[in-house]
Amino acid sequence: MTATATAPEGGKPGAHRRRNRWIGLAFAALPLGVYALVVLVPLAQSVQFSFYKWDGVSASTWAGLDNYRTFLTDPVLRSTFGHVLVLIGFFALLPIALGLLSAALLTRARQPGMAVYRWIFFLPQVMTTVVIALVFKRIYAPDGPLNTALRAVGLDSFAKTWLGDFTWALPALGMIGTWVTFGFCMVLFISGTSAIAPELYEAARIDGAGPVREFFAVTLPGLRGQMAVALTLTITAALRTFDLVWVTTHGGPGTSTLTPAVALYKAAFQNPQVGLAAAIGVVMALLCLVIAVVITRVSERD
Amino acid sequence: MISKTERVINYVVLTVLAALVLFPVGTFLVAALSPDRSGKPVGFSDFAWGNFATAWRDADFSRAMTVSIVVAVCVVAGQVILALLGGYAFGVLGVVGDKWLFPVVLLGMMISLEAIIVPLYYQFRTFGLTNSLPGIILIHLGMGVPFGIFWMRAAFRALPRSAFESAEMDGAGPLRMLRSMAAPMARPAIYTLILLSFMWTWNDYFLSLVFLHGDNQTATVALGVFQGKYVTQINLMAAGGLIVAAPVLVLYVVFQRKFISGMLAGAIKE
Repeated sequence: MTATATAPEGGKPGAHRRRNRWIGLAFAALPLGVYALVVLVPLAQSVQFSFYKWDGVSASTWAGLDNYRTFLTDPVLRSTFGHVLVLIGFFALLPIALGLLSAALLTRARQPGMAVYRWIFFLPQVMTTVVIALVFKRIYAPDGPLNTALRAVGLDSFAKTWLGDFTWALPALGMIGTWVTFGFCMVLFISGTSAIAPELYEAARIDGAGPVREFFAVTLPGLRGQMAVALTLTITAALRTFDLVWVTTHGGPGTSTLTPAVALYKAAFQNPQVGLAAAIGVVMALLCLVIAVVITRVSERD
Repeated sequence: MISKTERVINYVVLTVLAALVLFPVGTFLVAALSPDRSGKPVGFSDFAWGNFATAWRDADFSRAMTVSIVVAVCVVAGQVILALLGGYAFGVLGVVGDKWLFPVVLLGMMISLEAIIVPLYYQFRTFGLTNSLPGIILIHLGMGVPFGIFWMRAAFRALPRSAFESAEMDGAGPLRMLRSMAAPMARPAIYTLILLSFMWTWNDYFLSLVFLHGDNQTATVALGVFQGKYVTQINLMAAGGLIVAAPVLVLYVVFQRKFISGMLAGAIKE
């Protein structure tokens, strides 16, 4: 292969470049092949599966849009969308608000010791999700640190089995998401503000802007791109939550913490309704795509 | 340039937030070292370091960790090769049809595992690739191609054009140019790719849960099973958790800069 690769003498540069592109295709063939086999083909099959009714063993029957209809009308399955909305509040909105607040407080400073703080804030991003789930299972346990702290300050009536409570299990899970993502948002925003031209801040200060006006006039507009990234990643993370829920509550108590991904897993592998599971996967993929496109479009406007 | 009070306030804010992050991990660490099965905190002299050995034995981590390491090492090695080939093709050589081919590759970064897991499982089952390490390694590789190509393409494009031109003058073929010049020059990006790929593979739970059972369980899935059996032995459960988290955490301690910059750059891909 190397022998045929180059012969710079003769031939126009254009022809040379064109031949390079065929060699490029040969180089890319292996990665593209693996990618097509593992991602693209199953993606198409997901769509195909979603139109059939199949228990994973016996013959499948055509179901048209029934699986989608079930996903959108079955009260339990439909409730997963509501749960995702709650989770978005905790995974996306709260961490982004906290991240912006800290970035605003910290823009004026480039101080020693930042590296250590950055290390700490980013820590939840590299920790194994299953381990994070166990950490918080412990925090929320009936005799865990949270309840101990509540009892210590005399709030005994608030102490509860957080993850076993129909009302509180979902927000308790949401707080885990806040813990995981806020450091990421923070580091992202802080690195974003450091890229804003210092002249803009100087100009704002000469105009007599205080910290609050400075934030809205300079910092916030300068962070548009980072905001778009943070929103996309955290919203899709909320939509896709699986590990945390599966390890801590299995979707319970009842179905109060059921997410689409958990519903998909149950439908695909526990009590096989394969077509339904595929339909859930297709809807999730479409939602992720739409969210990413909409957020990017909005952030790039004007 | 900034006042002293502002500086103090900055540190207070940072410290409070850092404490919020560290507190849950800290309670877990304390529980892992407690001789008491409820995980009650104890003084330094009473730390039960033996919990780690007990958890290791009881959860049969020798086997699960071996599986995880084998999978992670194979995936990282394969990932780097695929990323080098793909990145070099799209970044340096150009690819026939890349106007539509490259967007199709990028699309893969937005396709979640949920969208493909169902047919993947049932197809792999017919080929006997479920509950097999080659099967799960192949899936990890395929899922990682889009990021790998995206990442190495950017790294190769950042290299000075003149280096390629002079190598071409010397009559080096594309494969030799990649091996002896482009790849060594892009070494920092390759190291970051290795770290991220290792972390993603090691931390995976969903894929392993679906595909691997019994003796083929990875450490994360084995930990899930272990914690279900040891609900009342908080100290051992915590020790097991720390064992599973340790490899990535150690790498993170050593290579924090690469992890953070890689994940930030990977996030801002548009």
